[in-house]
Amino acid sequence: MTLSIDSIRDCLEGAIPAVVATLAADGTPNVSYVSQVYYIDGGHVALSFQFFNKTRENVLANPRATVAVIDPRTAAQYRLALEYLRTETEGPLFERMKAKLAGIASHTGMSGVFRLRGSDVYRVCGIERVAGRETPAPPRRNLLAALRSCSERLTRCADLGGLLDELLACLDEVFGIGHAMVLVPDGAGARLYTVASRGYPASGVGSEIPLGCGVIGVAARERTPIRISHMTSDYTYGQAIRERAAAEGMGDMLETMIPLPGLADSRSQLAVPVTAGERLLGVLYVESADDMRFGYDDEDALVALATQTGMVARLLQEAAESQDEVPAAARATPPGGTPVPIRHYAADGSVFIGDDYLIKGVAGAIFCKLLRDYGREQRSEFTNRELRLDASIRLPDVSDNLEARLILLSRRLAERCEFLRIEKTGRGRFRLVVARPFKLVELPA
Amino acid sequence: MSAPPLLDESTCAFVLGAVSISAASRGAGGLPVLARASGCRVAADRGRIALYLARSKSGVLIDAVRATRAVAAVFSLPSSHRTVQLKGADASVGAPAAGDFEAVGRYVEAFAAELEPLGYHGALARALLWLDESDLAVVSFTPSSAFSQTPGPGAGAPLRPAP
Repeated sequence: MTLSIDSIRDCLEGAIPAVVATLAADGTPNVSYVSQVYYIDGGHVALSFQFFNKTRENVLANPRATVAVIDPRTAAQYRLALEYLRTETEGPLFERMKAKLAGIASHTGMSGVFRLRGSDVYRVCGIERVAGRETPAPPRRNLLAALRSCSERLTRCADLGGLLDELLACLDEVFGIGHAMVLVPDGAGARLYTVASRGYPASGVGSEIPLGCGVIGVAARERTPIRISHMTSDYTYGQAIRERAAAEGMGDMLETMIPLPGLADSRSQLAVPVTAGERLLGVLYVESADDMRFGYDDEDALVALATQTGMVARLLQEAAESQDEVPAAARATPPGGTPVPIRHYAADGSVFIGDDYLIKGVAGAIFCKLLRDYGREQRSEFTNRELRLDASIRLPDVSDNLEARLILLSRRLAERCEFLRIEKTGRGRFRLVVARPFKLVELPA
Repeated sequence: MSAPPLLDESTCAFVLGAVSISAASRGAGGLPVLARASGCRVAADRGRIALYLARSKSGVLIDAVRATRAVAAVFSLPSSHRTVQLKGADASVGAPAAGDFEAVGRYVEAFAAELEPLGYHGALARALLWLDESDLAVVSFTPSSAFSQTPGPGAGAPLRPAP
């Protein structure tokens, strides 16, 4: 079998620094270390360009390079014959390598020294296996079998909330990934909010992060998987979120009222965009307290799983929106008791039940429409379709993931409110269940 | 009178330590070639350095050194990232001297011990660097230039020997 770069990706995790040989214009050899040899595809790798050094000067004059890499599991050694093609200084590849390098730098005590200036893209001209002794590789999980099992489970899901929960259950039960969450972009795309999580003391549903913040925010912005194999402060969330909120004024402090779930001692992180065509549906994020928990193969498996989740989500959404059933005319019987005040601030759509913050934005506007209709007509049956057509909700656009907002609302209610809940009654239909009277107080902008 | 050696005592001690060593040369067709070394020896007057190589893993490099006499070697201590590159234009390939094979054994064990606290099992270094006595080749050269390659702003600066 001819060696391919796909089959030796374990060598390209940066666990053992690679060595690169180049020739100057006059033929003088040069040899140096390179922090990262990054897998791009079956025919290309990228080397991290961190310093203006002799290697860089040489490949610009003479594009041929030889790189030696080592499999950290077996000590197998390979030499790659490469040809320099170009340097990328922004975009998905650059961001993937930048995040990975931040992890490597942190792990090796080189934070502040290692900084990615560019991703030098090389064509792989040949791979040579160097003769030598090897240690036996420890067995590992069969990711293809895991993927098959999860794929079958995902296709059986009947609604978006169930799909996301099943995805997280699959990761936990089949892949052994116990800490995971799914975030979806808000309509304007400047933020992502958590709609499902697993493996944390508090669900964090409704918590937000700005686009571009941490591995999740960068994965969303660049539409590319971002993976870190060691803990690094360069990609932590807490501080960045607080700074952003403070910079945007008090109104946005609501962003920080629901803490983002996450491991305090997260050492490996992987964020994978969930897309439907060009559209970003969300980001799947997984993390672990172990170093180097996620490799290239895990990334591939999760990208495949995220792709399938995106396709199932789109089918479910189309099915939900095509339902045109009129809600049942039956009136709900209002409960007795002292009404609880529910305040809605039109300025940001924020809703407080009593004194407790519930939700804001479009989900807040949806909630108020439901309460208004209930109060006026004792109506408790609703359809997704009517929400989409309701001018008071101001959905950002027709492709907005309304279902995700309803999941957010129903989960926040389940966590924060004892007397109101949302029940699904069918595809694209749901019921507002009211167990105590309330008084909706609307505060105009 | 010949110029004083480029290797001062500190650099000499460094390259003889538990450092990772790789050597490069100019191969056929103008392609760079590369091999990992299993330790080195420095002459008493510090004028010449000899790299220990496994013939079975370094054939192309050995051929290139024979053809061009050009060599570059990089030495790096994993725990500190201190890195030095030496270059020479008079390299030759020779047979091992008495004691060289034993020096390889000591080097491999020292390097394995250096890597263990960094989380790499000693078996990894041994598998990577161990060689049979009959497989040992020696590439020696007079360093004609030396550079610091420790990552950071000073990377690439020529090393000047301490007086």
